[in-house]
Formats: sequence, structure tokens, C-alpha cells
Amino acid sequence: MKKYWRCYVCGDLHFGVKAPEVCPTCLVKNAYVEISSDEAERTTRPTRRTMSRTEFRTAIESFAEKNEFQVNPDTAKVEMLFDGMFANEQNHGLKYCPCRLRTKDFAEDLKLVCPCNFIIHESYKGKEDGECWCGLFVRRKK
Amino acid sequence: MLVRAFRKEEKVSKLIMFHARECPHCKTMMPHVDRLEKEEKVKFERLEVWHDEKNADMMRSYRPVIAPKCGGQLRTPTFFCPETSDVLCGEVPYDKLKDWALKQG
Repeated sequence: MKKYWRCYVCGDLHFGVKAPEVCPTCLVKNAYVEISSDEAERTTRPTRRTMSRTEFRTAIESFAEKNEFQVNPDTAKVEMLFDGMFANEQNHGLKYCPCRLRTKDFAEDLKLVCPCNFIIHESYKGKEDGECWCGLFVRRKK
Repeated sequence: MLVRAFRKEEKVSKLIMFHARECPHCKTMMPHVDRLEKEEKVKFERLEVWHDEKNADMMRSYRPVIAPKCGGQLRTPTFFCPETSDVLCGEVPYDKLKDWALKQG
């Protein structure tokens, strides 16, 4: 039976029997989660509703749970990053990474929206203690 | 001699630190910058880029120079010397920042 799937990283939608292993849009592995048809419909509808901090935290924790990384256990750091992301959303429209600057090229700047595709970045890839550039996500200790 | 010393100080004073208010790496680097300014008499112009569009535009204007040395992006913190076009980005140990800053003079 076909179901709706959504990429947690970039929001890409897929309708099919199973989720793609690699998101064709952002190239993140295992980032798809099953969503209801209602949510799929809501996702494609233009909206100005923004996530609360709690909702966002739940979303990224759930996203990280299925992957080899986790949300940084340093809560003070995470709170500071949340301050930045939510300020950026209010001032500039999207939850841009607080540790990088947007270029004003919208397509390019989508790469800075949290959570970004950090697993291909040099700060994470191949590093035992890898983390995304801002440090929101860190590689899970084995 | 005095004139030379003054000129040297004036030259070093053109270092820029692009930072962001809610960037934890920038927060970590601030005491290093304070210490460096105190101990070595170098001076950084600290430009916040997420809450000040003028500063953001200035950082963007240096994108062709900065981005190739910072993973292809404009990242914070970025230490930049417009005179030498030398760039240091990210959270680094004090000695690395010091070596970089003194190299610019």
C-alpha cells in the first residue's frame, strides 16, 4: 500500500510503498518518516504557521533518533542556537543556521536551513567527534 | 621608532571578526579575542552579521575571498584581514588565533 513519506531534513515529499533510502533533494540518508495524508496535505499547503520551540525540539530529536547523530547534550548551547534560529525565522523568514550567513540567493540559502545536510560537511564527515557546523548535532558515541 | 610602532599598530588594527550573536563558537572565541587585544595590542573590528544588515552586506562583499577558505560558505566566526585577504574561520585555540593575527601585521 502506498503511503506518504516526508524528508525530515528538507521537507521533500514522497508517495510510495516505501521511503527512498536517500533523499533525492538533499541527499540525506534515512531521513524519511511516514506521515498521514492529512499531514501531507498540510505540508503542501502554503502557511505562515511556525513551529514552537518544543515542537522543533521534538522534531529534531525524532529525526536524530533514527540516525548516527544526536542533538548536542550541551543544553545551554542548544538553547543559544534555538534563540538564533527562531530570531532568524522571525527576521529573515526561515530557521537559518545562526553560525552561517545567508547569501541572499534563496536557492543557495535553503542549504542553511536547520537541519542542514551536514553529513557531507567537513566538520562531520569521517570524523569520530564530528558535528554540524553550529554544533546542534553531534555524532553519537559508540 | 615611535612613528613606526604607531604605524604598525595602525596596520594591525584592520583585522575584522565577523560574528553572530547566537553563535556558540563566536561566544567561545570572544575571550580569546579580548585576551589577544590586551596582550598583543592587536585590534579587531567586531561585526555582528545576523542582526546588522550593514555588517552582513560587508561580509557578503568579501564572499569570493572568504567562502573558498570556509567550506564554500560564509561562516561565523570568521577572522579576516582585508589588507592581506587572509582568512581564519571557526573555533580555534588561542595560539592559532594569535599566530594568525600576528602574521597579518
